[in-house]
This record gives sequence, structure tokens and C-alpha cells, in this order.
Amino acid sequence: MRSYVVASAPHVRVHVRDLGLACCAVEFASAVASGLLLPAPVDDAGAGALNVLVVSGTVTDALAPAVLDEWQALPEPKAAVSFGACSNSGGPYWDSYSVTPGIDTVIPVTTYVPGCPPRPEALVAALVSVGGAAA
Amino acid sequence: MNAIPEGARGFITLDAAACTSCMICVRECPDWCIEIDSHTEQVSEPGARRPRSVAVLDRFTIDWSLCMYCGICVEVCPFDALHWSSAYDYPARERRELRHGIDDLGLPPAGSSEFTA
Repeated sequence: MRSYVVASAPHVRVHVRDLGLACCAVEFASAVASGLLLPAPVDDAGAGALNVLVVSGTVTDALAPAVLDEWQALPEPKAAVSFGACSNSGGPYWDSYSVTPGIDTVIPVTTYVPGCPPRPEALVAALVSVGGAAA
Repeated sequence: MNAIPEGARGFITLDAAACTSCMICVRECPDWCIEIDSHTEQVSEPGARRPRSVAVLDRFTIDWSLCMYCGICVEVCPFDALHWSSAYDYPARERRELRHGIDDLGLPPAGSSEFTA
């Protein structure tokens, strides 16, 4: 789990567990690489910081239990962000035999980010929306 | 924050007045995220020999939780009723809120980067 500060909204400080399962994960990396999310020391984040599980990419039925384990292992307070069409609904693979039609069938989702893939800025907007509400 | 490139594919707006309910976008959409309901009405014009049938759009829905932003619907629309917008920030708390109807698709989403009122 990594701790980040949102560059455009420094009061939003989140611990993020990034479950990058497919191409949307590249946009998460891009958000960090382009400085939209600034890495912060974990011990600096304080006890009250929100723990956010970001699921980005296609979740298959074989992987769904692993997503559930990650969610259950995440300490409170926590929120789940579904990042991209595949984790929102299954996306282009919604009628596939092996793809989970949305991670909300597995874990409770706080925010759904539309896009295929969503822009890195969309990730920031979602983190501000969940992190700002908790702060 | 970085500038969003012009022509970025973030959202598709619908010009409902231009839509003729021809269903081409619905049929071409690779993952079936567009839904259309329509009916025909008879329009009588003075001097015409018989009433004209006009398609009336009742419902046009794009499910953004499914959309893969390929733009095929924008490309195939013969009446230029669909247009790209670069709005990207319209996360939803409920999945059903990502189903946008005629009223939601007229402009980029309220509160998003491209929204102007």
C-alpha cells in the first residue's frame, strides 16, 4: 500500500492499494509519473487517512476472490474505487464466460470512474471525491 | 493540472433534434451500450396527398459504465447527432447513475471539466 497526496488538492491524503489488472493500470502509473499524485511517506499520512482500493482493469471470475481478499484485508476507514469500464461493468467483455460483470458483484464500490481507459485526471477527481468527503 | 488535449475522448454529447432514431449507432456499438426507444407519428401537411411518417425519439441512453469510447457511434451517425467532448470527470456513486439519457447527453455532465452553463 502506498500513500499519496493529490497535487492539486494537498488536503486530500490517501493510502492507495492499486489493483492493476489490465491496461487501466497504465493510467494510474501515468497519474503518478506526471505528478498528479505525489508519493508521501506512509508514516506521514496520519492514522485518519482514508484507505482506498483502486481496482483498475478486467477482473476475471478466477481473480475475483483475490480482489475480495484485498478488500477484506484493507484497514478501516476504507473506500473502493472502480476505475474503468471493465471493473465498472465488465466493459467490452460483459458477456464473456470468464469476466466478472462489474466488481460491485464482489465488493462494495464507493465511486465508479467511467472511461476506457479513464484519464489520469479522472483518477485524481475520483480520489478527491472520496478522500475529500472523508477529510 | 495538465491541459486536456483537444479532441480527447471523454464524453459523447447527443443532439436529440438531429437524431432520427435510425438505430445505426445502436447496431454498430461493439458492446451494446446505447439504447434507443422511438415511435412514429403521422404528420399531415397542407397540400400533401397523404400523411408523412416521422420517427420520434423517446429514449436515448448511453451506459458509460460499459462504453469503450471507440467512437464508432460518432463515426457512423449519418446525421451528425453525436459529438465528442473532452469532459472526463463524471464519476458516479451508483452504477445506474452512469446511464445517461437524452437530458443528460445534451451537454457535458454538470460539474465536469467541459461543463459550461
